Amino acid sequence: MSQKPKIKELLVESACEHNQTRKAACNAPTPGATTGGCAFEGAQIALFPYADAAHLVHGPITCLGSSWETRATKTTWPGRDLTQVGFTTDINLNDVVFSGEQKLKDAIDYIMAHYRPEAVFVYATCVTAMIGDDLDQVCKQAAAKHGVPMVPVHAPGFVGSKNLGSRLGGEAALRHLIGTLEPETTTAFDINLIGEYNVTGDMWQYKHLLDELGIRVLATLSGDGRIREIRSAHRARLNVLVCAKSLISLTRKMQEKYGIPSISLSFYGRRDTSKGLLAIAEALGDTDLIRRTRTLIVREEAKLAAQLEPYRAVFAGKKAVLNTGGNKTWSIAAALQDLGIEVVATAVKKATEDDREKARAYLGDTGVLMMNPGAEQARLIDEKGAHLLLAGGRSLYTAIKKGIAFADVNQEKKKSYGGYAGLLNLAEDLKNALENPVFKLAARRAPWEK
Amino acid sequence: MGEVTHKRLKPLQINPVKLSQPMGATLAFMGVDNCMPLMHGGQGCTSFTKVYFTRHFCEPIAIQTTAVTDALAVLDGGDYSIVESVKNICKKVSPSLIGLHTTGLPETKGDDMSWIAKQIDFPLVYVNTPDYEGGFESGWALTCKALIEQLVEPARIVNDNKLVLLPHISLTPLEVEKIKDFIEGFGFNVLALPDLASSLDGHLGEKQAALSSGGISVNEIKSLADAGVVISVGDSMQNSAAALLKKNPEMRHQHFSHLCGLEATDSLVELLLAETGFSSPPLTLARWRKRLQDAMLDSHFSLGQTRFLVVGEPDQLAGICQALSDVGGKVKVAISTVDSPQLVKLKADKVLVGDLEDAELLAAEYDLIIGNCHCEALAHRQNKGLVVRGFPNWEEVGNSLKHDLLYEGGAYFLFECANAATTHRAHLAAG
Ligand code: SF4
Repeated sequence: MSQKPKIKELLVESACEHNQTRKAACNAPTPGATTGGCAFEGAQIALFPYADAAHLVHGPITCLGSSWETRATKTTWPGRDLTQVGFTTDINLNDVVFSGEQKLKDAIDYIMAHYRPEAVFVYATCVTAMIGDDLDQVCKQAAAKHGVPMVPVHAPGFVGSKNLGSRLGGEAALRHLIGTLEPETTTAFDINLIGEYNVTGDMWQYKHLLDELGIRVLATLSGDGRIREIRSAHRARLNVLVCAKSLISLTRKMQEKYGIPSISLSFYGRRDTSKGLLAIAEALGDTDLIRRTRTLIVREEAKLAAQLEPYRAVFAGKKAVLNTGGNKTWSIAAALQDLGIEVVATAVKKATEDDREKARAYLGDTGVLMMNPGAEQARLIDEKGAHLLLAGGRSLYTAIKKGIAFADVNQEKKKSYGGYAGLLNLAEDLKNALENPVFKLAARRAPWEK
Repeated sequence: MGEVTHKRLKPLQINPVKLSQPMGATLAFMGVDNCMPLMHGGQGCTSFTKVYFTRHFCEPIAIQTTAVTDALAVLDGGDYSIVESVKNICKKVSPSLIGLHTTGLPETKGDDMSWIAKQIDFPLVYVNTPDYEGGFESGWALTCKALIEQLVEPARIVNDNKLVLLPHISLTPLEVEKIKDFIEGFGFNVLALPDLASSLDGHLGEKQAALSSGGISVNEIKSLADAGVVISVGDSMQNSAAALLKKNPEMRHQHFSHLCGLEATDSLVELLLAETGFSSPPLTLARWRKRLQDAMLDSHFSLGQTRFLVVGEPDQLAGICQALSDVGGKVKVAISTVDSPQLVKLKADKVLVGDLEDAELLAAEYDLIIGNCHCEALAHRQNKGLVVRGFPNWEEVGNSLKHDLLYEGGAYFLFECANAATTHRAHLAAG
């Protein structure tokens, strides 16, 4: 029987309440009018953070050559950080004509001889899937030869979007890793963090709080993750999905197979962080743990309030327009509100129904959900008297023309805005933006244009 | 000229510096004004390319994908997805040109581009750029050649004041502009193909990334064949020059492997003097030449005691290795992304087609690295100095304004490298 996951099955994922409306969109991108990454990228996002495993991309150079070292997924793994090492077979015409399997085998042998990883993930890509290289067979033989897991990841780009690819990545972990090793010890408060990739160290903004509460992170998929841990993830008491709808199918299957319940939450902003911590404690169902969690939340919120005190005056009465996509449409909005900034509009063009509902809840009745932010944002800045535009780089010119401050929402790819402490980073960056004279100065007319 | 290894010796790339042909093609189309690059393949190649260049140039990048899916891949010979793409693009924007370039997927299926191009009733240039062949540099060069073959109208007479510049891919937007200015100083009207100087040079303006803005116009490309002089820079551009000369054998062609350092710049000046009949160049050039001479002497002490690793595209390596060795810099290792006739000419002790793992294994042989930002981790681990050049540079701002060639850029380049080498030595001495 083929080891390849059934894509149709994943697309009609029952645990996703919005799959009905979005199925068509997931299935068929429109030629000439498509943005966003492919399934391979999604799988890469889900699995690359395992720093103790090698990630071998079987394909021509585009897939890895353009994408390695693009994500700052932090790790405490003491060995060589393999998240920052790019491996690809870089197949050539000869391989396309005569099969790339031998090269793949040799590449795995080379990696095992020189890097000794705890596992090797082997990613199919469009060309190698098209020519029919048998990854399952190669991986099986290599696993027998080297005695470590070899995980074939069947998410070539042409099967669909990034989101689907993340699911396929989760599927590969479920088939080949989860449940293949027993943990040394277990506790009553063992959880898995699913979909937390620890980008810029996001996870570390709240992990110490879990530690303090005695909640043990048994395994992660896959931020600061270890192969040994994900192999024993089936013994956790709870799966915690962090901002990752794409992995719902994984947690549902783990529930069916291992009886692990799951909850979904986010750690952006004060309110969501507090809610998230409490939700974990409640799901674990221990009254003492819940009580201690409440106490910890009160303490952390008070600490944060004190640390944010110097910023209050700067942010008082300030209004912001937010132009981003996905869950950031509401998570950053929530964080801004936590800082005392009013969010007068947020873009929901690139957001799911679910995200739009959340955005509406955070912004209330007066906030504008922009369906066409490119055209709307400039007008809204004037109408609402906004002081700050948070958006991607291409909107910079809009802010300059309006003479208001600009902050690049993608800064969070370099610096964590997660948890309680991340809000301080956000506060500092926004204060710097609001106080910076450059936005007005750069808009100055040239002497010959006056 | 030392030992040259033309073939990769391993079954894989580890920490690659190589980039793909379709990405080179995209960038070339970005040098055409009001163009929509259309990449034929899975949506991921396009998405990666867009993010990659956006980060490198800090500019919005216009590009679309034919978004081939597995279902389509089996049934469609490419015509459906390409025709649909053109329709969908034109619903939103009105490009002057669509730049169709392939990836490995449709090439594996055997989609016939020349046939499909004929089905499309819209200005379109196509180029075959599978990513399992060639690399970044050849993708750009093939695209330039395709633009010439498919757009340029044949001519019989030449206009002696008109000059066509064919720059290789590794020249920065400002370098292209500096070459144009240099030549314009002799009274020529210069057109560069492709021309990133005005499209990706990082100027403030309204940019919604809907289409490329700046660059050479389609009409200008059409009428390139009446130029008196054609200058190609970088060996990858020789075929483009040949294709252009076919359009009008009266054109006079001069090739430069690179324009770095005193000698190469001198030969460009000689050509321009001969073409114009002038006896001396513009005054500022003469002054910059003296400054470069001075820079060479001022930097030789530091650079003369420095051992280099240079990493990059073949045409880029040619110029950098020349400039360093001119002042006694010892290029111990040059690592090229792909094979090229340039490699045997490089001023380096050891030349190989390889990756950054190879660079790591040779770490004992050099002190200072000149290469892309992927070299940062290597420099850090191995305690080496680093001057960032080439694609990608995601860490530093302002890379599109770096210029290392001709008299002026050459002087700046030597100073920057000499200072980096000195700082690195001080850092090592301090422990
Ligand atoms: S679409 Fe296919 S070929 Fe392109 S990056 Fe994704 S997996 Fe690679």
